[in-house]
Parts: sequence; structure tokens; C-alpha cells
Amino acid sequence: MEEQDYILFDNYINSELSAEDTLTFENRLNNDSAFAKSFNVYKDATRFLKNTIENAAETNAFKRNLENISKNHFKQEKAETNTTTKIKTKTITLIKYFAAACVALLFGVFTFNQFGGNPSYSDYNSHEPMTVTRGSVKDLIAATKAFNSEDYEKANTLLKKVLDNNPENSEYRLYYAITNIELDNFKIADTELNKLINGASAYKDRALWYSALSRLKQKNIDATIVLLKQITEEADDYKEAQKLLDKLE
Amino acid sequence: MAKKKIHEDQKYVEGLLNNNSFIIQAIYDKFVPKVVNYIKQNSGDADQAQDIIQETIVTIYNQAKEKGLQLTCPFDAYFFLLCKRKWLNELKKKNNKEVTINEEVLSKDDDAQELAFETSLFGEKQALFNEMFQKLGTACKDLIKATFKIKSMEEVAASLGVSYAYARKKKSLCIGQLTKLVQESPKFNQLNY
Repeated sequence: MEEQDYILFDNYINSELSAEDTLTFENRLNNDSAFAKSFNVYKDATRFLKNTIENAAETNAFKRNLENISKNHFKQEKAETNTTTKIKTKTITLIKYFAAACVALLFGVFTFNQFGGNPSYSDYNSHEPMTVTRGSVKDLIAATKAFNSEDYEKANTLLKKVLDNNPENSEYRLYYAITNIELDNFKIADTELNKLINGASAYKDRALWYSALSRLKQKNIDATIVLLKQITEEADDYKEAQKLLDKLE
Repeated sequence: MAKKKIHEDQKYVEGLLNNNSFIIQAIYDKFVPKVVNYIKQNSGDADQAQDIIQETIVTIYNQAKEKGLQLTCPFDAYFFLLCKRKWLNELKKKNNKEVTINEEVLSKDDDAQELAFETSLFGEKQALFNEMFQKLGTACKDLIKATFKIKSMEEVAASLGVSYAYARKKKSLCIGQLTKLVQESPKFNQLNY
């Protein structure tokens, strides 16, 4: 662009052109794409400078406040991570033995299935372990421990409490729903899962999977199939869902 | 484009604009843990997550301030997508390390995808404008700063000891120079102009 063009840009932005010049300018914007492109960059540059310089004090105050809240949050986050790691190490040792048992069990189930047995909920209820995030930490750690050691009754009570305090946390809602499936409280489980399915959280697809498993446990095969079919290809549980569908159909 | 309905989660954007500590805290309580988990599962640690999240929130703040960002989707999905995109870009930049991406189940919310895309584009533009502004000569930088601080061009001219006409012309040319630097940058082509 020529120097004159930049001066024109500035005059146009500040509405300093005559009616006739404005018209000419706008015509050029419509017909000269390089001119239009440069003008858009010039306009954005002006807006960027105006905002950055005019609001510098306000923005700095915001950044300082944000920094403090972030630091505090992560101080707790890092402390909690240490606790979880400890819990995890413990679980892992147990898991080793448990895994061996599972393999043996799976073999059994597998062989059984091959001879025409019907798939059941218990083939699929090896849940991903819960991890502590943030919130009312004490209850949450207790809930996590209970859940991961399959004490679903205790986990259920604690998770309900945690969820009541954090009604918008989809992760707690999912795990709360799982405990309800485990305890055969299907009505609650299905209601909670529906909330997730109709929401926009990251647990939407997983909720579909568990909703299907809940129907499977209730021996409502038709509903199970309908739900499994809604699981999208991108979902973590897609492959597993397809396998289960094959067995059911 | 038909005007979309503003989502009730616009309250988070307004809260950021007003530097409302309760809202900022709520964002950390409700939405940050999921991002931290994601980054940790994808070759990152808590410190890196902390930076990504903070930078993302500042970008949202700036977009709200400069362009009146209006949320047409849940904040949760929008925020997660933004942080995720930023983190993946960060990983690409490092590139020397082998990276394992653990694809999470994502919200398929189109509005969220679109808005997150706009915001990250806005953030990239800002970063480039900022980078190029630093490359301007001192005279240009001072004139531009004075222009937007003092507002009256007569006063700006007086404070710099130049004529009004010269100050006006110089201001346009300095912003023009910034425009040129931005357009000549290799990063410019990714900015959708």
C-alpha cells in the first residue's frame, strides 16, 4: 500500500471523509481485494492498539487478580495430585492381583460367550478409576477411594453429597450414576445419565455407554441396542459398543 | 447470519470483564480441572496447564473487551476447546519430542467449535500485532502510545513538539507500518484475512 492509502484508511475509520470520498473508498473496498485486505489489517491494528493502550491499567489489574487466583488454585491442585498419586500407587499394587483374577475371569466369560451365552452387565462393569479433581476435597477423596475399591454403597452416599455441592460437575454426576447402576437404583441412574446425554459436557458419550449398560443390566435389550447405536465413532467406547451390539443383534 | 441466542453462561464472560473474583474462582473450580486432566493425559504437567489456562482466560478477556464477545454456547465446551487447541499448538511448536495425543470425548457443539475457533484466531492476531509493534521504531511507538492515551491529537502534537498535521499523518503511517509488518510475517497467512 502507498502512504496515501494508510492516511485514507485512518480518515475513513474516523469518519473524516466527505460523502463522495466515502463512496469512492467503499467502492474500492468492494473491488480491490488487496486494498480491502490491508484495510482490514489496518482496522484490526487500530483496534488492538486502542484496546491495549487505553485499557492497560484495567487489563493489568485483571491479570494480577487472575494470577493470584490461578496460583492458589494450582497450589491446591498440586497438593491434591500428590495425595492421588499415593492413593494410586496403593491401588496399582492391588490392581496387579486384581488384573490376574480378571484375566482368568475374562477367559471364563469369553469361552462361555463363544458357546452362545448372552452378554451381561457384569462383563462390562470394569469402570475407569475415578480421580480426585477439586471441590470438597475430603469427601471427594473418600468417594474416590470407595469407588475404586468397589464399595459402591459408600461411594454413592459420598458422591451424592459432593454432587449436591457441585451440581454442575459432570464427572461427579457420571460416577454417581455408575454407583446407582451398581446398586440397582436404575431410576436414579437413568435420570442422571439422561441429564448428561442431553447436556454438552465431555461425558456425553460415556453417559450413553453407561445408559446402555444400565438397560443391559435391566435386561431391556431393545433399549440397550437403541442407545448403543447412538454412540458416535469418535467416542472412546465406540469399539466396545460395536462389539456388544454384534453380540446382542 | 441470523442472530444467535446468547447463552446464560455469558455471565462468565461478563464476570471476567468486570474482574469479578468470584466468577474467576468459579471458572477455576468448575471448568479448569477437566482441562488440567486433559493436558496431563497428553504429555503435559500441572505447570504447563496453569500457563495455558491463564493465557486462554486473558485471550477471552481481551476478545470480550475489544470485540464484545458474545457466548452462544456453554462456557464449559468453549473453554475446553480453546485450551485444548492452545495446548496442541504448544505441542506442535515443541515437536522435537514424540507426542502421544489421547483424544478425549469432545462436545460436538457446533457453536462452541465456531466460537473457540474465532477466539483462538483473535488470540493469534493479537500475539502477532504485539510482536510486530515491538519492532516499530521508538518514534512510532511513542507517537502511537501518546495518541491512544491522550486522545486529543492537538495535545499529542503539542506534547511531542510537532505540528498537528504532522502528528496526524505520522500516526496513520506508523499504524500503516505496523500493518505492513504484520502482512509480511510468515504467520500472516494463517490468520484468515
